[in-house]
Amino acid sequence: MRLCGRGLVAALTLSVLAAFSPAQALDQALIDAAKKEGRVVWYTTQIVNQFARPAAEAFEKKYGIRVDYIRADSNEVALRILNEGRAGKVQADVFDGTAAVASLKKENLVLKWTPESARRLPANAVDEGGYWVATNLYVLTPGYNTDLVPKNAVPKSFEDLLDPRWKGKIVWNTASSPSAAGGFVGVVLTSMGEDKGRAYLKELAKQNVTGIQVAARQVLDQVIAGEYAIALNIFNNHAVISASKGAPSAWIPMNPAMAVLSVVSVTKDAVHMNAAKLFLEFLVSEEGQKLYRDADYMPIDPSVPARDPSLRPDGEKFKAITFTPEQIETNMPKWAGVFREYFR
Amino acid sequence: MPSDMAETSRKNASGGSPMSKLFAYGDKRYFSAIVGLVLAILVLPPLLFLVTGAVTVTEPGGAWHFSLHRFPAIINQRGFLQSLANSFIFALGSAVFALVLGGVMAWLVERTNTPLKPLAYLTTIISMGTPYVLYVSAWLLLLAKSGPINSWYRQFTGTTDLLINVYGLGGMILIEGLLWSPLVFLLLGATLRNFNPELEEAARMSGAGPFATIRRITLRLSLPSILALAMLVFIRAIEAFEVPALVGLPGRVHVLTTDIYDTMHLSMPPDLGSASALSCMLLVLVSALLYFYGRLTRNAERFATITGKNFKPAQLDLGVWRYPAAALLVINFVLLLVLPLIILIWASMLPFYQSFSWAAFARITPDNYKNVLNSSRYIALLTNTFIIALVTATCVMLIASFTAWLSVRKAPGAAMLDQLATTPLVFPGIVLGVGVMQLFLTVPVGVYGTIWIIVWAFCINYMPYGVRYSFAGMLQVHRELEEAAAVSGASSVTGFRRVVIPLLSPSLIAGWLFIFLLATRVLSLPVLLSGPSSQTMAVAMFDLWGNGQGPELAALGLLWSLAMTCIALIFYFIARRSGVGLQGQG
Repeated sequence: MRLCGRGLVAALTLSVLAAFSPAQALDQALIDAAKKEGRVVWYTTQIVNQFARPAAEAFEKKYGIRVDYIRADSNEVALRILNEGRAGKVQADVFDGTAAVASLKKENLVLKWTPESARRLPANAVDEGGYWVATNLYVLTPGYNTDLVPKNAVPKSFEDLLDPRWKGKIVWNTASSPSAAGGFVGVVLTSMGEDKGRAYLKELAKQNVTGIQVAARQVLDQVIAGEYAIALNIFNNHAVISASKGAPSAWIPMNPAMAVLSVVSVTKDAVHMNAAKLFLEFLVSEEGQKLYRDADYMPIDPSVPARDPSLRPDGEKFKAITFTPEQIETNMPKWAGVFREYFR
Repeated sequence: MPSDMAETSRKNASGGSPMSKLFAYGDKRYFSAIVGLVLAILVLPPLLFLVTGAVTVTEPGGAWHFSLHRFPAIINQRGFLQSLANSFIFALGSAVFALVLGGVMAWLVERTNTPLKPLAYLTTIISMGTPYVLYVSAWLLLLAKSGPINSWYRQFTGTTDLLINVYGLGGMILIEGLLWSPLVFLLLGATLRNFNPELEEAARMSGAGPFATIRRITLRLSLPSILALAMLVFIRAIEAFEVPALVGLPGRVHVLTTDIYDTMHLSMPPDLGSASALSCMLLVLVSALLYFYGRLTRNAERFATITGKNFKPAQLDLGVWRYPAAALLVINFVLLLVLPLIILIWASMLPFYQSFSWAAFARITPDNYKNVLNSSRYIALLTNTFIIALVTATCVMLIASFTAWLSVRKAPGAAMLDQLATTPLVFPGIVLGVGVMQLFLTVPVGVYGTIWIIVWAFCINYMPYGVRYSFAGMLQVHRELEEAAAVSGASSVTGFRRVVIPLLSPSLIAGWLFIFLLATRVLSLPVLLSGPSSQTMAVAMFDLWGNGQGPELAALGLLWSLAMTCIALIFYFIARRSGVGLQGQG
């Protein structure tokens, strides 16, 4: 089964590197040292039952190394590591998120190291500076309630969202995060340019977009429940996951979408340094990438397609602007400022 | 305060006062110092963190400098005054609504012969066992634009408008008030149950009608309890986040807490400095409120209704008015319990949430319950959660009862104790979490990452509630009872243990229960403080909530509430028994 999968991938990607099994490429010394440590602490933003637990269990099964994970939102993960770092007692060996690494590396808390298995990934999935490697892609698009929005009325472009029929029926999360108003403003300003973008947002504000301070997932839930018709900047795979359970939800491949990298890093003075490195290798390996796929996420490895390949921007019909953790960290305060200016 | 009442009270305060004061003063001072020290150790480190966080700027790398820039930035922020006004209206409205609703119920149940009283207890006990986030979402589901009430209205009238638009200040007050009315009911109930009816009887004998008696005697004598509660709900509503975020924001109502959330999350990681600065401002505000409150209840003796004299609170015969009164209890029962329960049960059986419809009915499945019951993960969470809640509630009520006693008896440093114990009300969860986290990262005691760090944070967080509970009860216990103990040779500590604690027990047990239940369901602190082996139920609920698994959350929440209700019932009966014992003695 595994051999067959490997052969298929090799044929598909035509990549020489992919023909090597990641496990073979791994240094046996690393594995031995990691097993000696016997444990790795992972601060994660991944939902426990969707990804954190399956991944931890798979790793434990493969190497016999226990994974202790703590799940919190990106902000809390950053806060914890920051505070632990200032006290000189970082507990985390591995952490993930979409932007946390950008501020943590400034505090000199992140290890500069790139896993072997990342070599086969596209260049934009690996940090040039070596501080992070992406594991999966989040694509943020509008989503809608299929009972409330007839097929022929689905807005296809940013302009369509200005149709008076959507007045008071659009909702978003007001937070300054990619999966919220901040991210939407960012995409508009980046794709249309400053002047045109601002003019557009000014018009959009007249639609009385409802702002709430709950996670993107709950924004979509409110749309599914029928409170609003359209949600902006939700995770498009969420709409698919819900639809597969029969919910009236769908997403719109509106151009351009926002794509953010979910990245993983090792902390600088990790107590279980070798186990941490091995865990990173594992997440980025083909085997790890398949775990993301099975959780209905979009693996970063192009040779492991998502279960619904249409979720991923193909660069032709469905385009996206990809933002790195650094770009998000740098630009978000400005985007949030613009949001406040027009929508408060 | 009418002079005749003060007169009566003075008469009640027995003449042996000066001697016994001499008696009690000495050992109370040591006591005061010990309790003060414990409170200071709990409260001051996060407070220090709060203040330094507000006035310093830390550069990446750890260097820091002093700056006051955050305060003008907050005040000049667009809409700050509007948010401030909204916060006030929201807090005041919620406090008044909760007091009226809970107060009327308490009075009907404790002091009248209204039938169907058990309904009120059932409502209270179950609602206090229900996780907060579950409750808010249940009412939101009921009252939402697409909720059953509005849908049915639209079906009947054929229009497209709404009967109720819950998103706004009105909706916020309604939901926050509903959330707090059980607390008011329990606390005022304890006050009214231990009410000395002498004064009421005197009023009635002097020709006052029942309503004049309520207005001039019952209400006035309960004033300190009512004010203590009003202040509690008011302050809690000022710092509430869930209801403003879920109910206020969609209606464009901004309050201080939602503003600070915005400010805080402008940068990554969150800008704790701004949150701290706003908390400092809240601290000043709350201190001012406490000061005025202190002045109002300065002469606590005037309100003492448990004296050395024998009493048994009389029940007012409402006559035919019993039936409308019973109807009120039923409405309360339906509003607070039946409707939210129905919609939660409905939600818990769906693969994803939808309004009532036949199409949705066809989707009903027991999967959510199966998922919850089959997951082995919950056993460890359950154990952790119980230990945390048990230890927290016990520690808090222990310290709180001492604090309230010393504070009401005007022991040396009483005002200081009260202020210290009330200060934690202004800590936003995340600020407190980080404060406690820093404390245990610096002090090498091996608490970081265990359940004890959560217990510590919870003790700080819930101290104000514990103190208010004990305080309301304490105000009623007349000094003469302790003086009697002192004259009989008991030290003031013995007097406290043998006389005050037994008399206070209904309030203390109610408070213990309240904190126990609160500690099992609060999200923000455990999320920041729990380690890999110290996860709690709240963290699991937070995962489900953030993961769009509302239906599974509803299932877990309902099962959890069922368990909690059983616990609550047990304690209710214990409290009740000690309450009966109280009335029977003398």
